[in-house]
This record gives sequence, C-alpha cells and structure tokens, in this order.
Amino acid sequence: MPKTITEQNLRLLVDTLLKEGARVVAPKQAGTMALYEPLKSGDELALGALPRRSAKETFFPLCETILTFEKDKGGVRVNDVDPASFPETVLLCARPCDAAAPSILDAVFSWDYNDEFYLERRRKTTIIGLACTTADDACFCTAVGLSPADTRGSDLFLTPLEGGGYAAQAVTDKGKELLEKRAQFFSDAGSAKPLPPAEPAGESLDLEKIKSWLDNNFENPLWTEIADRCAGCGACAFLCPACHCFDIVDEGTEAKGARRKSWDACGFAKFTNHASGHNPRDMQNKRYRNRIMHKFKYYGDKFGQTLCTGCGRCIRACPVGIDIKAVLDEINSK
Amino acid sequence: MTNTAQQLDTTPLVDTGYYAAVTEAIRAEAARLLTDGTVAAVIGYQAGKRKGTAMPAIITDPARANDLIFSPACVNNLALYLTKAKKDIRKTGKVAIVAKGCDMRALAGLMGESQLKREDVHIIAVACAGVKGSGAATGEPLTTANIAKKCRECTVREPKGADSVAGSLPSLPELSPVEAEELARLEAMTPRERWSFWKEHFSRCVRCLACRSICPFCYCEQCMCDRNRPQAVETSPRPAGNMAWHIVRAMHLSGRCAGCAECERACPMDIPLNLLNRKMAKELKELYGHEAGLEPKEKGPLAEYREDDDQSFIK
Repeated sequence: MPKTITEQNLRLLVDTLLKEGARVVAPKQAGTMALYEPLKSGDELALGALPRRSAKETFFPLCETILTFEKDKGGVRVNDVDPASFPETVLLCARPCDAAAPSILDAVFSWDYNDEFYLERRRKTTIIGLACTTADDACFCTAVGLSPADTRGSDLFLTPLEGGGYAAQAVTDKGKELLEKRAQFFSDAGSAKPLPPAEPAGESLDLEKIKSWLDNNFENPLWTEIADRCAGCGACAFLCPACHCFDIVDEGTEAKGARRKSWDACGFAKFTNHASGHNPRDMQNKRYRNRIMHKFKYYGDKFGQTLCTGCGRCIRACPVGIDIKAVLDEINSK
Repeated sequence: MTNTAQQLDTTPLVDTGYYAAVTEAIRAEAARLLTDGTVAAVIGYQAGKRKGTAMPAIITDPARANDLIFSPACVNNLALYLTKAKKDIRKTGKVAIVAKGCDMRALAGLMGESQLKREDVHIIAVACAGVKGSGAATGEPLTTANIAKKCRECTVREPKGADSVAGSLPSLPELSPVEAEELARLEAMTPRERWSFWKEHFSRCVRCLACRSICPFCYCEQCMCDRNRPQAVETSPRPAGNMAWHIVRAMHLSGRCAGCAECERACPMDIPLNLLNRKMAKELKELYGHEAGLEPKEKGPLAEYREDDDQSFIK
C-alpha cells in the first residue's frame, strides 16, 4: 500500500528519531545558505533549499580525527578512533543528486582498502531522498543518467504532493523497515497527485562517447584552454557530492596531537606533489584533465560508474565560470 | 540578496545600449592590437554557456575578438591572469587586459610590487557602471538591488591611466554604501561580539582556498600556509586553523589589497572577507596614511623597515 507523510509528521519524525539518540542530518538554514547539518529539532528542517555543500559529508566529513597521540614518560600512546562509536544516522531530504553519490562512492571506499570510517557511517545511515520539483540552469542530473525523481541511493523516497505532504516509497529493506517501525507518522495514500518533477534543461550526454574520447585524448589542447582560465581553487571539488580525494595530516605538537583526514582537491597546485619534490601533475592543465578523466573515464574503467551526479554545484561556485556541462557538451560534440 | 530586495527594485540600472557600446569598443581594440602585433594575447570576458553568464577569456587570434563581451556578469578581476600563479599567459609576450577601475588598482599594486611592468601590458579600461553581486540570478539585468556591494561605493568608474577606455559612462543613481554601513556596525561591536561574528563565519570555511586562488596579490609560489615542516597554520578545516588562515591572509594583504573583493565573491561559504580587507585598509590609512590606489608604489608600510619606525608597541 503506498504511503504518504505530512510535513508536520515529517518534522515530528525528526523529533522522535532525535529523542531516541539518532543523528538526523538534513538541509538546515545556516546564515545565508542551507547546509546538510545535524538537526536539533524537526523545526530546523529547511524543505525547499538545495544545500550549498553536498550530502557526502554525512559519510565523509570535511575533517575527521582518525587517531590521537600523546607522549609521556612511558613512550608514545596512540589512541584509535573507534568507528563503532558512530551514531545511527538518518540523512533526510537528500536531493537525488546527493542521495545517488554515496552508492557510487561505496566502490572506491571498499576497493583495495576498506575505509571503516566511511563504511561504518554508510552501514549506520538510512537515506531518505526527496524528489526535486524545481531546477535551475546549472542542474544537469538528467544529462548524466539520473533524474529529479531518481530513487538511486535512497532507502526511502519522498515525492512532494499537490496540496502539501509527500508520497513515501520504500526503495530498500532499510526504507521498508523505517516505514513499518514509524507507521504512526505515515498514512495510506489518498488521491493527491505528485507534483511534476523538475525539468533540467541541459541536453543529454553520451557518456560512452565521452569516455571513448577521453580514452584517446590524454594530450589535447582542450586541457590547456580550460586550465588557462582555471584559478586552481578547490571550490568545485569541495562542493561536489562525488569528489572524494582526501589528505591526511598530523597536527598538534610533538607531545600531543591528532592525525586528521580532510578533503583535498585536484585543483590545488600541491595535489600529488611527491615528497621528492616531483609533481606528476605540476601544471593546471594536468590537474583539470585529471578532474574530468577521474569522473568520466578512470572511475568508469575501474568501477563501471560515472563519478558525477549532475548537481551543478561546481558550475554555480566556479569563480572563473568554468562550466563542466559546457566542457562535456564540447567533448560530446567532437 | 533577498527576494524582498529583488521585488523592491528590478528596474535595470543601465540601458543595454551601454553594454553594446563597451563590447563593441573592446572588440575593435582587441582586433586592432592582435592584428598589428602590439600584443600577443588579449585577456577579456566571453559569454558563458548559461544565459547571462560571463567568464574570463584569453584570445590570441584576432578572428576571435568578436567573442569578447562586457555585461553585468563580467565580475572577475582579470589581473589574476598576469601574476606568477598564471605565468603561462605572460610567456606569450605583451598582453592586453580588459580592466574595470577596481581591477586597475590591482594592476597598479602588482606594478608597485615588481610583478608586472607597465610596458608589458596594454590596459583596455572600462568606463564601468558596475557588475552584479553574488546571489544575483543569471540573466537578470543590473539593478540597484543586485549590484555588487563594492560597486555601490565605487570611486573609479572612469579610470585614468589606461591605454584606451571602452564605453562612456551613463548617469547612475546614488547608491547607499551597504558595505561601509556593515563595517561601521562591526566597528561598533564589543571585541567579544566581533570575535563571535568572525568565529561564526570562519566556522563554515572549508579551506577550498578559492579566496587565495582568485586573489591577484596571492601570487607567492610557496604559501607559508601550505608548509608542513614546520607547520605554521593548521591545514585542516577546523576552527583554529581557519581563524589563523584568515588572520594571516588579512595581515598579509594589509596595505596591498586593491579592494576588488574577489575573495569574498569566490568564497562558496559566503564569508564576508572584504569586510576584513576594508578594515585593514582603514587601519593602514589611519596609522600610516597609506592607501592602495591607482599609482604604483614601491613599498607599503608593512613591507618596509625604517630606522625611525615607531617601536613603542614592542613591550
């Protein structure tokens, strides 16, 4: 039987989950923008907003401590952070472009090494996706094979209904379990129709064709043309739901400190700088090429997936107007 | 910009004929310079793919001069492309650059710091009515509601000292100085309140370093803040390192910052960085009578040492 939930009940669901000790991460107004942040109450839920940063930080935080160290008379003590201590989490109102990303990232975080920090958060998280009914001119999820109503990656999926409220569709067993366990917040579906999904305007991309061009164009003037403009900041990668490069640094003093993992970006001049001083990606053109190759070739070669969900955040944020969709359109037309 | 502000004033500030004239002048000048070999490249703006957007363009072929545009979306300070960070372009030879008045301050600053020689650059200045601020929707015209904050109190709409000037300035309405007002509001706060204001803003910093990458004065090939042996500033995006990074940056730019506000525009987390820059500029003016202007100056007060410097602050 299809189910629905009212906005009020959605907020009450948040309150109940919080009361039971779960972490609820959802769009929340933070100053001038919305961000996916842990909520303190259901009232904080910002339903209309597309958060400035993606939801990836629910699993892959901007910065996290992976161990701490302390020197004392007996030597050095190293304290591991235990991923088992991570709380049960509900990621609520994730847009389809955000909900799909972790299901793509699972491959890389469990490939030659199991990143327990990421994987344990994934295991403990239920994703409730939310269909988009509006899109702006930077949105291009449809061009990379997703859609504003795509349930990929969601455990439970909400679709806004005419006159308010949401249709709730269980996508996975986790989602089904949530529906059953929290049945008091859901009703049987009435006659209200779902609002029509958004229609991103971008033309569709032939991802196979793009990959095959990339296979043969490691050296191409296009990379320099774009890189001449690229300022080499990490804004695109940091806002991206799928970018996942990170750096690990020890910070603190010799006597006491922490080892931390935080986001890195291929735009940075020091990205891939070796301890020897050699940097295989020493110029911006090589770094921008890496960005496109990683998303549309390497990830496909290795894991059979595209590392882009078309959220458009990199397009909106690029301070020098680099438009990844325009770059892909150009490659697609070659 | 709030939706209310948008509803209040959506009347275009300038007639579209103004942009057409500026665009035409830039194209003609670029074509001439490239054809007669005066310059090897022209750095200007071209239209972005999305309606009403623009982005930097570097052209070397006169046939591409017609790609150049000027519109309310031409926000970038192109001086960035003349610094060491983008050294490849300079290698091509003498270059022409399209510069708004605010951007010309940066060019003067770079000349003062020996990063650029006047004879190596051909400046195509724009008589500038202003550009759109962050948050303005693409495609909408320039209005009193969506104009960039820095443009609201611009003093260099008709820049001097360029090789040519594109367009002529239409009359513009008086605009309230919202940034100066915000600065005054901050200055009126207690130190504790101010600290919490910045703490809140810096807590959102993701250390993408767009502020550094977009700044024409952040041309150091080796940034102290990237060093890890020894580490001067924590590189991970946490409160201590974020605070340190933004304070180091503000100090480093004191007396140098040309006020283009690119750092603030580029910040994806909406940190009002230009308020910090303005505050530092104000301090430098009060303490040393120094101001970044359109005349290249060899050294700013924080970059030189004199034997008769006031030492009284060292206790």
